[in-house]
Amino acid sequence: MASQTPAVVMDNGTGYSKLGFAGNDSPSFVFPTAIATKGPAVGAGGSGSGRPAVANKPSFLTGGAGPTGHLSGKRGTEDLDFFIGDEALTAASGPGYGIHYPIRHGQIENWDHMERFWSNSIFKYLRVEPEDHYFLLTEPPLNPPENRENTAEIMFESFNCAGLYIAVQAVLALAASWTSSKVQDRSLTGTVIDSGEGVTHVIPVAEGYVIGSSIKSIPIAGRDITYFVQSLLRDRGEPDSSLKTAERIKEEFCYVCPDIVKEFSRFDKESDDRFKKYEVRHPNGRSVTVDVGYERFLAPEIFFNPEIYSSDFLTPLPNIVDTVIQTSPIDVRRGLYKNIVLSGGSTLYKDFGRRLQRDIRHLVDARLHASEVRAGNSAKSGGLDVQVISHKRQRHGPWFGGSLLGQTPEFRSYCHTKAEYEEIGPSIVRRFALLGGPGST
Amino acid sequence: MLLLDYQNVLIESLLKDRLAPDATPTSIDQVVSDFDNVTFHISTPTSKSQILVSIRVKCFDELVKYGAQAVLEREYGPYIVQPESGYDFSVQIDLAQLPESQEEKDELVAKISLLKRNAMAAPFEQAFDEHTELQEQARQYTSESAPQGVREGGEVRAIHYREEEGIYIKASHDRVTVIFSTVFREETDRVFGKVFLQEFVDARKRGVQNAPQVLQSNEPPLELQGQPGLARGSGKGEVGYITFVLFPRHLTPQRRGEVISHIQTFRDYFHYHIKASKAYIHSRMRRRTADFLQVLRRARPEAEEKERKTASGRTFRVQA
Amino acid sequence: MSQSLRPYLSCVRSTLTAALSLSNFASQAAERHNVPEIEAASSPELLLNPLTVSRNQEERVFVEPSVNSVRVSIRIKQADEIEHILVHKFTRFLTQRAEAFFILRRKAVPGYDISFLITNFHTEEMLKHKLVDFIIQFMEEVDKEISEMKLFLNARARFVAESFLTPFD
Repeated sequence: MASQTPAVVMDNGTGYSKLGFAGNDSPSFVFPTAIATKGPAVGAGGSGSGRPAVANKPSFLTGGAGPTGHLSGKRGTEDLDFFIGDEALTAASGPGYGIHYPIRHGQIENWDHMERFWSNSIFKYLRVEPEDHYFLLTEPPLNPPENRENTAEIMFESFNCAGLYIAVQAVLALAASWTSSKVQDRSLTGTVIDSGEGVTHVIPVAEGYVIGSSIKSIPIAGRDITYFVQSLLRDRGEPDSSLKTAERIKEEFCYVCPDIVKEFSRFDKESDDRFKKYEVRHPNGRSVTVDVGYERFLAPEIFFNPEIYSSDFLTPLPNIVDTVIQTSPIDVRRGLYKNIVLSGGSTLYKDFGRRLQRDIRHLVDARLHASEVRAGNSAKSGGLDVQVISHKRQRHGPWFGGSLLGQTPEFRSYCHTKAEYEEIGPSIVRRFALLGGPGST
Repeated sequence: MLLLDYQNVLIESLLKDRLAPDATPTSIDQVVSDFDNVTFHISTPTSKSQILVSIRVKCFDELVKYGAQAVLEREYGPYIVQPESGYDFSVQIDLAQLPESQEEKDELVAKISLLKRNAMAAPFEQAFDEHTELQEQARQYTSESAPQGVREGGEVRAIHYREEEGIYIKASHDRVTVIFSTVFREETDRVFGKVFLQEFVDARKRGVQNAPQVLQSNEPPLELQGQPGLARGSGKGEVGYITFVLFPRHLTPQRRGEVISHIQTFRDYFHYHIKASKAYIHSRMRRRTADFLQVLRRARPEAEEKERKTASGRTFRVQA
Repeated sequence: MSQSLRPYLSCVRSTLTAALSLSNFASQAAERHNVPEIEAASSPELLLNPLTVSRNQEERVFVEPSVNSVRVSIRIKQADEIEHILVHKFTRFLTQRAEAFFILRRKAVPGYDISFLITNFHTEEMLKHKLVDFIIQFMEEVDKEISEMKLFLNARARFVAESFLTPFD
């Protein structure tokens, strides 16, 4: 029967979890990766290694049981008393519940919470019997193999899922870009720029394998842009400069301009078209109007000119991408330049891809030119193709890539099944055949 | 979460969004699963304001045999459309022609999200009706003189809703028997399941006296004699039969809706809790493992803290 | 603590303390190799007599000493099917994390639930009496943990059954 059911695709990120079924073009559920449990929030510590967090006692212990531990309250049902996602945020704002974020920096830190998060995702939201479905989960690049094993242990032993595939988010993001008309060959070579809420990663991938040593991350992402918009609103003394308003303005009005100086003068000339107004409705019925001005193009500009926002991080995104590719093995660099794929919510600004492509091309051309000059015109470069790919599925790129690959007929043969797990043990998930790689359709 | 929801959360939240007063129509195209091999397809095939919800149930033929069509027509009358190809039943809501009041809208959303429940409810309803009928007939006889048909009860309604598992419903004049057959593939699940089922059987003895009687066996109960396709284990107990005996008290017209919804969730509820217990035991094991590690670490003598210096004479400090 | 547990544990303790007198011993078979002789079993003169300490039919400890390593295997009490499953799950969970436990053997000796392999390198860098303490404490707590998990399972099953049946009430 498992032969007809669609695969379940779960992309659990630091901020948001994307859940759904393979074959759909968008996830069924997107909610914060948060879990609210009884008792106050304890600092999500933990060693971050493959082993469970030592400092973090599971919340069912807050009943006061010592290390000898007995079932708190004999009934011991506290482990069922929790909420996930948006409901968790609501529950935590009331008394009695504390909120936890089981994933930190892309990696699962609290396995107890994560196990219950999955349990609720599967039974309450997706409503599937895991024994009938194959699962496709995602992991960040450079995830320790122990984490994979722990994940497999939970998926197979607790949930008895029929089969499991764990894919690297960046690789899935590459697969998601196949929907773009600019992509001709469905290769899994390219540079992924993944910018979400907390951090931006630049990840080179060669034929489906992440080049771990060249990954770079940038401490500028969605949240920083929101803060920047907020600070501009505050400086102008707008009537409402809450974080929420700043976020709405960012999402609705911001875009990337080709040149800030020209954009400033354009704003001054055509002020009517360029300046916008945003109406904030308060829950009590009052509404105020906020002017939206230069932040429209200044906010995303912090990717390209970080010095306008931050004083400790000054390298522009195009330079980072260039460095990442230059530190990758020489034989894949051409492929990496040709296929720069965007993924994540903070890459959605209008013309983001175009600006990035132009800036990277400038860097590359300048270097080529310099080397031609050094060679004294004896060697002519054939030029280097730089292409940044924007596509419609960027926002949930990794999830969509998972959905795309999860519906292919050969997906199941790439998974490890429950029987194989029983046979070999958790170490089986250390290796997965490359889905969508060479040789598959 | 203790009890499972009866409705499909995705359909509920999707429709709620779309039916909200200031919602902008957008296209939807989602194929989603529900428990028990049910597949939904929510789409906007013709225009963005017309939402089509289709359902595919593995055992739809059997359900139709037991009157599903009538039940669905009763519930969804005006919304029913020609079933989408590949699916068994479809309803369509036109956003332009919605009921006026918010209550009615909420009711509509709730109704559609209960599509699976209503489709599966038919055999239960039929059996409950039959029970009422038999009860009437039985009044005319003493227990000895009753004709065969009344004493024996009606036929067994079998729903093979999963590949290896089924629900069997049988009505008689003083009770309705609902039998679930279940299969455990996994040793751990089998043992856990046994513990759980034993408690289901015992629950009536403690406190919950008015609950249906629950019986459990590894062999098909007598009611199912002669049923084709019954799962039989290899004697290790991986196949289980759980019998719920619903008494007239549960079958009154006021209560039957709730009883049907609730008993439908039994199998998934049962399996969900087996998995949740495993999750809890996992977290206990994690904590215990951490404790053991700490004990073992005590065996290592304190590493004497030598101050390490760089070449230029600067020291390292451990960050808190 | 029941009557027989104390003498059982103290017997295991003294056996282990005696057995853990290990010395560095290079392999006689291959140059520059140094393997736990109890595992390699390359020559009989390096192995000492193995010893079983048993509390009853179900619970016993098997100590196999050798010149540079000791293998300790424990059979944990499992009165019924549930305990059997729980023991199996727990020991597998532990062996899965053997990397962190240094002395845990990745596979139990046949007939036992969990095995430890202590070599002279372990006794050199760890305190011997603390290692014995660890094994003893492990034996104590593992029983407790198993019976607690069993209690939990029964309590949970009861709760789940009652909650499902209550709406019918």
